[in-house]
Amino acid sequence: MADIVPKENLLVRMQEDIRRALEKPEGERRWGMVIDTRKCVGCHACTLSCVAENKLPPGVVYRPVLDQEIGTYPNVTRRFMPRPCMQCENPPCVPVCPVNATYTRPDGIVAIDYEQCIGCRYCITACPYSARTFDVGYTYTEGTPEQEVYELLPNYEYGVEHARVPGSEESPIGNARKCHFCLHRLEQGALPMCVTTCIGVANYFGDLNDPDSLVAEMAAQPNAVVLKEELGAKPKVFYLV
Amino acid sequence: MTTFATPMPGNEVKSPNWVQWVAWALTVICLAAGAYGFYLRFTEGHAAASYGSYVPWGLWIAAYVALIGASAGAFGFAAVIFTLRKTEYYGLARLAMLVAFGAFAAGMTNVWLDLGHPFRFWKLLTQTSWTSIMGWMSWFYVIYGLILVVGLFLTRNGVIPKFMERFSWIAFLFAIAFAGAEGALFGVVGARALWESGLTPILFLVEAALFGVGLVAAGALIFGAMNQQAARMMGVAMLILLGLLLLLEWAEYTTALYASVPAKTSAVMTILTGPYWWVFWGLHLGLGVVLPGLLLLFGRGNALLTGIAGALIAAMGLATKLNLVLPALAQEELDGLAHAFTGPGLTFSYFPSTMEWLVWLGTLGLGGLIVLVGHRLFSLATPTRSSASK
Ligand code: SF4
Ligand code: SF4
Repeated sequence: MADIVPKENLLVRMQEDIRRALEKPEGERRWGMVIDTRKCVGCHACTLSCVAENKLPPGVVYRPVLDQEIGTYPNVTRRFMPRPCMQCENPPCVPVCPVNATYTRPDGIVAIDYEQCIGCRYCITACPYSARTFDVGYTYTEGTPEQEVYELLPNYEYGVEHARVPGSEESPIGNARKCHFCLHRLEQGALPMCVTTCIGVANYFGDLNDPDSLVAEMAAQPNAVVLKEELGAKPKVFYLV
Repeated sequence: MTTFATPMPGNEVKSPNWVQWVAWALTVICLAAGAYGFYLRFTEGHAAASYGSYVPWGLWIAAYVALIGASAGAFGFAAVIFTLRKTEYYGLARLAMLVAFGAFAAGMTNVWLDLGHPFRFWKLLTQTSWTSIMGWMSWFYVIYGLILVVGLFLTRNGVIPKFMERFSWIAFLFAIAFAGAEGALFGVVGARALWESGLTPILFLVEAALFGVGLVAAGALIFGAMNQQAARMMGVAMLILLGLLLLLEWAEYTTALYASVPAKTSAVMTILTGPYWWVFWGLHLGLGVVLPGLLLLFGRGNALLTGIAGALIAAMGLATKLNLVLPALAQEELDGLAHAFTGPGLTFSYFPSTMEWLVWLGTLGLGGLIVLVGHRLFSLATPTRSSASK
């Protein structure tokens, strides 16, 4: 029994890790994530909590969970692979942006300036992980007798209030959008929503520059891999396989 | 030696022939359809379009690259004529500048309406990112548009200034850089195996030249500005370019299929055998290569057949570019993505919506209108000569 129950609460440890990181200057932090595919049961809680947290409209998703089937029936296994933005260290989406709307912050998060973005979608084509989506302007209750109030609530991505005005082309409508590790929560010392809500604690999050952090420990495991390593984007999201 | 352009049949001002009436009728139809399309675009926004998150670019981007390519090709054609002092084709070169401007305006309208925030376009110029090919292209467009307008204005009386002849080689180099950079816009995207190839900018250059000459030939037919000699010259140019295009496509596709790198092979297979296989085999190869090739081979020097072949080549340029833009995007970048989360735009299949077709027609109508009106405005029907002939 003692071996099964974790000695420490992983969420509490990660929480402490990020508080420690926040005491450092921004440029010395390097936010990263490790996803343990062996613990993921494919419940999609992270996907939906992200949708709720960031008020994502139809057609926009930051963290789908890929259901991958390996082998041929009857010799098959399944693997679940949550796919956030990899916050690449060498992000192909950044140099292609013609107006510098997408950029790498000192803490390593690849951000989008919604007011600067012209919606050309060049970055979407350049991302090797399909991590960027286009906010076309849909709402879930469009065409129904009543536009639900929750659809009009503002989101607080990047720490800024963004009201949603359906029918307009006011940002973030018309923009490229993607996961930002819940920067607005992080800056308040809270974990990204997907990490908090994962029922199996399959996500480890924190400062990769802090060798004492759980995430750095996990990223150093021999079974930690990144996706499409050959492209040289240097993702800061690792998978334990 | 006379430096007067050889008067071509139809070069003199005369009432529009039936081909011009057809051109006017098509332009008006396109503009009427486009008016409704523009209305939908501005009232319903991108929600009325079929592109979305996984296939973020669609018909308009394909049309934009096809039209801008054709424009650069037509412009390069004019620059070559002036550089080589081929005075007998000076009239044709002026027409080439005009169709280049029409295609440019149509292409730019497509890409402008494709922006998520069309009214932020000015940021492209005031806050350009120089690491982005698109940033560079924005400035190229400004310079290019200016060159075309100034060129048309300066030659409006039918006299080609000496400096234009002398410095046209620079314009020619610019056309090459311009069309090549358009290809590099795609060629540098490492995430898309179909685009990321050293051949992509070269392919764009050849396609630009081909569609450009095709467009000029079609324009020359409409305005009766093509004699036997010009038809022969343009016919040979188009045949050579068609051959080059086939060679490059063969090289690109066969190496991809042989190497069997999944991302690229699946994109090529989408082109050849995917749900829109007929765009490659029917529209591109059949109507854009084989049929015009036959018309040019058997109708050498025939203005009507050369003009029709040119029109087919230029029109099917869209199919060629659709096959570049869409199959590259219609690939799952990670296994399982298509079904991981669903919603509008979270799909890898794409077919343009009614609004997209209407807007596209409208942009063609706009280009057509510019050419038809510009032909009178810039007095293209007057015989053209070099200023050196004074
Ligand atoms: S995963 Fe895609 S969107 Fe995220 S940083 Fe990398 S290239 Fe950019
Ligand atoms: S969609 Fe926005 S963020 Fe992406 S490349 Fe265009 S301007 Fe930049």
